[in-house]
Amino acid sequence: MQRHHGAAERAVKQMGISFAVYSEAGNIDRAWPFDIIPRLIAHAEWQQVSLGLAQRTKALNRFINDVYNGQQIFKAGIVPEKLVVDSPNYRPECENVVPKHGAWAHICGTDLVRDHHGRFLVLEDNLRVPSGVSYMIENRELSKRVVPELFANHSVLPVDDYAGQLYKTLVSISPSDRKRPCIVVLTPGIFNSAYFEHAYLAKEMGAELVEGSDLYVGDDDMVYMNTVEGVVRVDVIYRRLNEEFLDPEVFRKDSTLGVPGLMRAWKKGNVGIANAPGAGVADDKAIYAFVPDMIRFYLKEEPLLQSVKTHLCRNAKELAYVQDNIEKLVIKPVNESGGYGLLVGPHSTAAERNRFSKLIQEHPENYIGQPTLSLSTVPTLIGGAIAPRHLDLRPFTLCGADTWVTAGGLTRVALKEGSLVVNSSQGGGSKDTWVVETRP
Amino acid sequence: MLSRVAENIYWMARYLERTESTARLVRSYNHLIMDIPLGSEPPWTVLVDILNAREEFNSVFRRESEKNVHLLLASRPTSTCSIPYAINRVRENLRVTRDVLPDDTWEKVNQLHLFSLDHAESVASRRNRLLFLEQVIDHCQSIVGLIEGAVQRDHAYRFMRVGQLIERADMTARVVDVGAGDILDREGAFGSIDPLLWGALLESLSGTTAYRRQVGPIIEKDSFVDFVFKTDDFPRSIYFCLSEIRRELNHLPVAGPTLTQIDSTRRRLRRFSSQKRERTKLHRFIDGLLQSFIELDEQLQAHWFKKRPRD
Repeated sequence: MQRHHGAAERAVKQMGISFAVYSEAGNIDRAWPFDIIPRLIAHAEWQQVSLGLAQRTKALNRFINDVYNGQQIFKAGIVPEKLVVDSPNYRPECENVVPKHGAWAHICGTDLVRDHHGRFLVLEDNLRVPSGVSYMIENRELSKRVVPELFANHSVLPVDDYAGQLYKTLVSISPSDRKRPCIVVLTPGIFNSAYFEHAYLAKEMGAELVEGSDLYVGDDDMVYMNTVEGVVRVDVIYRRLNEEFLDPEVFRKDSTLGVPGLMRAWKKGNVGIANAPGAGVADDKAIYAFVPDMIRFYLKEEPLLQSVKTHLCRNAKELAYVQDNIEKLVIKPVNESGGYGLLVGPHSTAAERNRFSKLIQEHPENYIGQPTLSLSTVPTLIGGAIAPRHLDLRPFTLCGADTWVTAGGLTRVALKEGSLVVNSSQGGGSKDTWVVETRP
Repeated sequence: MLSRVAENIYWMARYLERTESTARLVRSYNHLIMDIPLGSEPPWTVLVDILNAREEFNSVFRRESEKNVHLLLASRPTSTCSIPYAINRVRENLRVTRDVLPDDTWEKVNQLHLFSLDHAESVASRRNRLLFLEQVIDHCQSIVGLIEGAVQRDHAYRFMRVGQLIERADMTARVVDVGAGDILDREGAFGSIDPLLWGALLESLSGTTAYRRQVGPIIEKDSFVDFVFKTDDFPRSIYFCLSEIRRELNHLPVAGPTLTQIDSTRRRLRRFSSQKRERTKLHRFIDGLLQSFIELDEQLQAHWFKKRPRD
């Protein structure tokens, strides 16, 4: 086992799989922490989960489209209008825009966990610039290199068709009917933590990896890129840039990463942007509580995937409950991602609880509380021995003309004993995820 | 291909060539000095002058010693004329264009980078210095070989090749300039070591074998200069470099004005004859050549690397 682990570490170095951590000055690339024991999910179970994911993503897209066009869900009294339009994720600039197929969140990364009943629960939806998919694919490559024998006994669903599916999705939102539309991946640049993934996906799709300065919007409100053969019109931008940096004419004026005029071009329907600006409005931990109701409202269906019970501190009653039970709950800020700024009640000190209690009282609208789940664990190789560690799962759902869900997803595992935080920027690792066909 | 990527690729190749040619030049000069009787050797600072780094040298060091010259050229990553600096630039330019070149390129460049970090300090002693230079040259050649053998002949390759060739022509011109008197033979003091000098310079351009086969075993100023300026089949001659650049640029759109400029430099070279020039006039001719390389670089910037209206 240890020998395999050493082989895996060497392979990671050779393949140059890395991610970057912002705070570590100087040494910006870190090798990817990979655990060689794969995580298994039965195919039959996965089929149910992926139906649930497709359903959820469809409803979220309907919701975003509704919020910017017509706002039926407010009128029906299902989601409070104030909760949405007061959120910093709501972009008035996107009102009355209908992107092709009504699709806003084209790439959705959903974080799932298993609770003590063994059910998959949705922990959060990432609709802005979800990352991690390239690691899902690289993890499979690593497993094939390091433990090829294991594949002999299992029928494992492949994962490397993602880039092709992503390409199809992006083509489907192209405004032009060119047979090979010009698709680019827009990256903030080499210093972004997910640059490796941006380069990977661009390469796999045969698309150009561009930075904001490579693009410009002409007087005709079309988007162009500078190439050695002159300017070329761009049809679809897969942006891996947060939307506040996308267009200094509309959002942050000081952004040098974006493209001035991009929103103009997008609103006129001259370029497809994935994920669409404004999609983040549904990626808010306060909105999360309403997703089951959205599914019932828009699709007239019962949700196939369960969510975690969520207490919105903005409601006085629930605030009181959260304050009384803070040592049992996980407290999350509504607008943060990456596992930053949260409090895990049962693992916290009295001082930390006091600090959060004060924060919540001052700005209740910024916090939610959820019960601490007893998350499932899997065998993981730690210092030469096998030990149980907590984990989650991030499958990716693509949504353009069609909807498609990855087979499995990225499994992240907390390498510290007892820890529930799996983010790679905070010392998490990852595993290959196998959706296996079970013999009848 | 993106203009930004083209520009990065071009500089990657220029700095890779600069790394190798600087190492080669320093190595040859070390060999030369060892051949010359004690007391009559030319100063080490000739190297600094060839690389146009006099100002930088004076800002860092006070004594013009052998050790200081090598510290500047081989050990200081902050000096723009140094080998570690050039290696860093190769790496930084490649880092942002990794997806264009074969994966092994990045690995090999990284190895070179790590090697220079570990060993650049060792150049004070002659033995370690020569070993270091040898290894740097080896690394560079294996990277160039990898690129030659595996890169698709598309625009990326073209800009890489153009960068390599401009840098090469530029270095050849500078090397000849050492012999052009203005740098070395101001008072005619080194007349007696002439053949050794020309031999070492030819060696630094790895042209000894080719020269012997084409011209003969005796290396003299005029035939040397004509050889490295005008030969159309020696890969480090200026004429050859210009012809190759022309061939590569011919595949690109709007190349017209640049090709015309290259043609005029090539005509000047064809008409040139070393015999008719004294050393000072040779120096002026070389200045003209260096100027034309700068103009060529400006043409590349203007036609293919330029940024659109927003800047």
